[in-house]
Amino acid sequence: MSITSLSLILLIFSLYSIGERSIRFFRKEQNQSVFKLIATIFIWGGISYIAFFPIHVRQFSEKLGFGDNLNTLIFFGFIVVFFILFRLLSILEKNERLLTEIIRKEALKDLK
Amino acid sequence: MYNESKVIFSVIRSIQKEGWKKIIAVDDGSNDNTYNEIKKTGIIVLRHSINRGKGAAVKTGLEAAKILGSKIVVTLDSDGQHDPKDIKKMVTEIKKGYDVVLGIRDFKKRHIPRYKAFGNYLGNFFTWMFYGLWVKDSQSGFRAYNKNAIDLIKTNNDRYEFETEIVREIVRNNLKWTEKVIDVRYSDYDQKKRNKQSFWSAVKMIIKLVLFG
Repeated sequence: MSITSLSLILLIFSLYSIGERSIRFFRKEQNQSVFKLIATIFIWGGISYIAFFPIHVRQFSEKLGFGDNLNTLIFFGFIVVFFILFRLLSILEKNERLLTEIIRKEALKDLK
Repeated sequence: MYNESKVIFSVIRSIQKEGWKKIIAVDDGSNDNTYNEIKKTGIIVLRHSINRGKGAAVKTGLEAAKILGSKIVVTLDSDGQHDPKDIKKMVTEIKKGYDVVLGIRDFKKRHIPRYKAFGNYLGNFFTWMFYGLWVKDSQSGFRAYNKNAIDLIKTNNDRYEFETEIVREIVRNNLKWTEKVIDVRYSDYDQKKRNKQSFWSAVKMIIKLVLFG
């Protein structure tokens, strides 16, 4: 276990994010779901875990066969994240355009 | 137009005073009294139930003109920055045989803010980079189209990217085009508007044009 100022800061951030999400979930606020709660715990919990046990990441990397080339894994991770982001933006853009078309049809219906 | 209740009545009246009768206004989901102010003028008014952006509103206006069988369409901004006296010279150019006439602001005039001139130059540069056509004012909303152009032009973007897309469509459809210097008046009202094009909206516009065309 490695305790540094960075790992403590990350722990505070993680606890804040998980706590805030949990409160919103248990208050049954709109747009809150079990999936969002689990995702928040998984992501922030994972960040804290890695911050306190960085050696485990190295061991995991070696088991996967990457050895010391962990940067390669991170690089591919970024590619996947950017691909997902682009797909989401494309879907959002398509939906925006569809919405405009519906609004336009409604605006023009009295002219036809 | 979006939330232009303070000026829209006088803007439309000034167009009517120039003798133009077939006027279409598109209220882009305003939440002030814009719609009722337009109604008072007796022109055709279309309403977007929610705000979709300048490009979407202009496209709705062009679609309406198509339905009504218009042979020439002139678009201008609703905040009163354009002079309705210029409509005539835009129409004259269309009658000479041009498909599209782009109104261009004279950025050498002192009353035009310097940042607008710089922003426009950047817009022109990116427009040229994307579509290979250098225009002097890629962001001007004062434009004229003939029926051929209205039928051929296909745009996708709802916000300020629309103006740039028109340039793309001129290139894509090989339309005959020209530019005409127009007068612009930047009032205090125009400068204080919250929904005008900002630096960040210009950055977003460039990113959207790169990603989605």
